[in-house]
Amino acid sequence: MMKKYLLLILFVIPSLSAMSAPLSYQLTAELVAENTWVLQGKLEDFSKRNGGNIVNTGFIVTGEGVIVIDTGPSLRYGKAMRALIESKTSQPIRMVFNTHHHPDHFLGNQAFDDIPIYSLPQTQKYIKLHGDAFAENMYRLVGDWMRSTESLPPTKALESSDITLGKHKLKLLSFTGHSGSDLVIYDETTGVLFASDMVFYQRALTTPHTPGIDIWRGEIKRLKQISYKLLVPGHGPIVSDQKPLKQMDEYLAWLDLTLQTSAEQGLSMTEVIQIPIAEKFSDIALTRREFARTVAHLYPHYEEAAF
Amino acid sequence: MKKSIAALTLSAALSNFTHASSADPLESPLWDYMRDQFIGNDKYVFDERIKVDVPEFAEDPTQVPITVNAEALSGQIERIVTWADLNPIQHIFTYFPHEQIVPRVSLRIKVQQGTAVRAAVLTKSGVWHIGGSYLDAAGGGCTTPSAAAANPYWESHLGEMKTKFFPRQSGGRYKLKIIHPMDTGLVDSIPEFYIESVIVKTSSGDNLASMQLYPPVSENPVITFDVRNPDQKHTIWMRDNGGNEFEQAL
Repeated sequence: MMKKYLLLILFVIPSLSAMSAPLSYQLTAELVAENTWVLQGKLEDFSKRNGGNIVNTGFIVTGEGVIVIDTGPSLRYGKAMRALIESKTSQPIRMVFNTHHHPDHFLGNQAFDDIPIYSLPQTQKYIKLHGDAFAENMYRLVGDWMRSTESLPPTKALESSDITLGKHKLKLLSFTGHSGSDLVIYDETTGVLFASDMVFYQRALTTPHTPGIDIWRGEIKRLKQISYKLLVPGHGPIVSDQKPLKQMDEYLAWLDLTLQTSAEQGLSMTEVIQIPIAEKFSDIALTRREFARTVAHLYPHYEEAAF
Repeated sequence: MKKSIAALTLSAALSNFTHASSADPLESPLWDYMRDQFIGNDKYVFDERIKVDVPEFAEDPTQVPITVNAEALSGQIERIVTWADLNPIQHIFTYFPHEQIVPRVSLRIKVQQGTAVRAAVLTKSGVWHIGGSYLDAAGGGCTTPSAAAANPYWESHLGEMKTKFFPRQSGGRYKLKIIHPMDTGLVDSIPEFYIESVIVKTSSGDNLASMQLYPPVSENPVITFDVRNPDQKHTIWMRDNGGNEFEQAL
């Protein structure tokens, strides 16, 4: 009798836990400005728990249709996002933007495959080239959340630097600091700046494709000149002040100085990875892990310069 | 039911007891085989003082930084053998440090998947002291073509070395980089081609350190090591498996 129960427990528990939680992102959208909604991701790294929902996406209900900004990390996210948009407005979705080629920003594209998807020309090239590898890696990182997700590259390369739809006039600004091709969208009508991953706030920035910290810092200076009312970072909370730009600049400056000093002292990569993060960044999430990644991405260049 | 639990507990306790001295702290499935390959039936102990520093995750599986540090056994070291259990080519390097060199070396390696990375230090008393760390990785580092395979730059720069001396609080540090594809032979139509021997000599011609490298060492190796006497002049000599020799004053 006892044995039977034991067997039951052994077989039932795993299958229950697999079945009891149908994967759902539970997306919610916050109205951050007139006609402007943001879906905020968690301040975490990709995991099987969060399904890759670590990213801020958004949409603008212009009066003559909806503009979608980034589509999230998976088909499942894209579908949930689309359902959420359709629950907020009956206006049709008119265009989708992918701000850059990182997987959490475009792998929901399949859910919008009947709508023109725009990106900077270079982003379109990168996604065509690396999209499949990114998708594959995401399956490894977050598992079943990715089911049926495939890379769908943007269908249109942006040719103009502004666009007007309904009441909303958008400036489309081209940068490179974070990924080599970064689209920042400034809505002149509402003053909302969709900064994409050019700006991380309270979540450590990532550097796998940055053309260099100096370039990124220079472009942060350009962003400071925009008198926005609200800044939506690619990752992290939405704010109306300049704190995220200040934090970006200070953190990038610290990275640059730390890597340079380390190279001049002849430190090996494993030693650099162990350097403590400066105290003033202690409230930023994931600095330890992202710093180690940044060392892997950028330290060889600093080492080379120090020979 | 109770009986069988008791029996299980007992057998677990027994197996713990019999393997207490040899249980692999990294619980690698290949430990026994690796031990057999690299140290045979020699005496060994797992020793936390043998440090293998690796990042938490291999961001780039073709360039994973590791530091092997056996300073705790300075003066007693015969050689240091380093390997990655789950690599298709496990052996990374064997290092013969002289007493005038700090038994610590940093370089970068390729890994094919998450794996235990080991350093086994043979002391003059004949006992191996084994340290290691687990490295998480997405993989593919050993079967990815070297960057050199797609770019002929290396052909005209093979063996070009950059070296630099850094004064340390005590002694000094050398860092060197050499252009070499370090091909593993595991990629179609690209035969193995790697630096197999590195020797650091003093100005009087004595070997201060000698290292045998294997294909898991990353392309364009960057090697960092520390000497105790910073005033001495040193030269470095390398040879690859194609017979090319490279030599430079440090």
